[in-house]
Amino acid sequence: MALLALIAAVSCSAPKSTSASAEKAGPQPSKNRKPAAAFTLKDANGASVRLADYRGKVVLLNFWATWCGPCKVEIPWFMEFEQKYKSQGFAVLGVSMDDDGWTSVKPFLADHKINYRVLLGNDSMSQLYGGLDALPTTFIIDKDGNVAFPPHIGLINKNEYVAEIQSLLETHQQTTERPNSRPLPAALLLGAAK
Amino acid sequence: MKRGAVVTQILKPVVLAGFHVNSDKPKDEFLIPLKLTWNAGPLEAKSVSYPKPEEIKVGSQMLVVFTGTFPIQTEFKAPANAPPGSATMTGKLRYQACNSEMCFRPSTLDIRVPVAIE
Repeated sequence: MALLALIAAVSCSAPKSTSASAEKAGPQPSKNRKPAAAFTLKDANGASVRLADYRGKVVLLNFWATWCGPCKVEIPWFMEFEQKYKSQGFAVLGVSMDDDGWTSVKPFLADHKINYRVLLGNDSMSQLYGGLDALPTTFIIDKDGNVAFPPHIGLINKNEYVAEIQSLLETHQQTTERPNSRPLPAALLLGAAK
Repeated sequence: MKRGAVVTQILKPVVLAGFHVNSDKPKDEFLIPLKLTWNAGPLEAKSVSYPKPEEIKVGSQMLVVFTGTFPIQTEFKAPANAPPGSATMTGKLRYQACNSEMCFRPSTLDIRVPVAIE
């Protein structure tokens, strides 16, 4: 008797990368932005972290895994962003989608000396953010808690992140410096330029 | 196959162009290896052999992977006291696939192989 050879197709339909569209698309107009889905997850110290805790900051929300090579290309960029933009009201939140949880993630965090908060994701979190067909998937959230740009699915150019983050930080800075459109008296303008 | 005999079964996964799966022995401890396992059944799975992987570079990392169509060989033995007739060997193929820009979550394929024991 002959055993039959079995051919199993390993098929992975790649989700459409948004990197090309993100390059050309600017931020969504504020009035069109949708709120980022609320969540509460645990960090490596067991503390509960809510997205709402970051209201008032620009947040780069990155879904990744220790087994994801392209994710690991981006991580040093995110560490650089965390350090550079933190004082301007910015934070990176990494959400690991590793099935074996902290068993894999904690050693990885220690090995790579990651300087931003990493949380452990789950299936519910995945569903909240569109199913996460592929990793990395990254959302840029404005200071009002809204998703400001189309999500980035897959590895993109570092400069795209820089442009998006800076546009949101600058927008807020302009808004706080000029809360209304009326020209300020000269004395006050001189004071602001200091 | 006859009772007491040893046969080789060949599974041929097909990875779509542009994608790769980790080999059975990835270099990085965090990567998820390709793994074929068999459930207990009418035959004894004595060994599973994977082909030699190829090396590719993603970012700064060298990976050992399989692409395209590749064979996984299993050596099966029919015990001397195996009941004659038709039966099925079942197993699972665990894999994790990526391309140069993104990775997909680890997946498992169910494998079923019909057997006839004389």
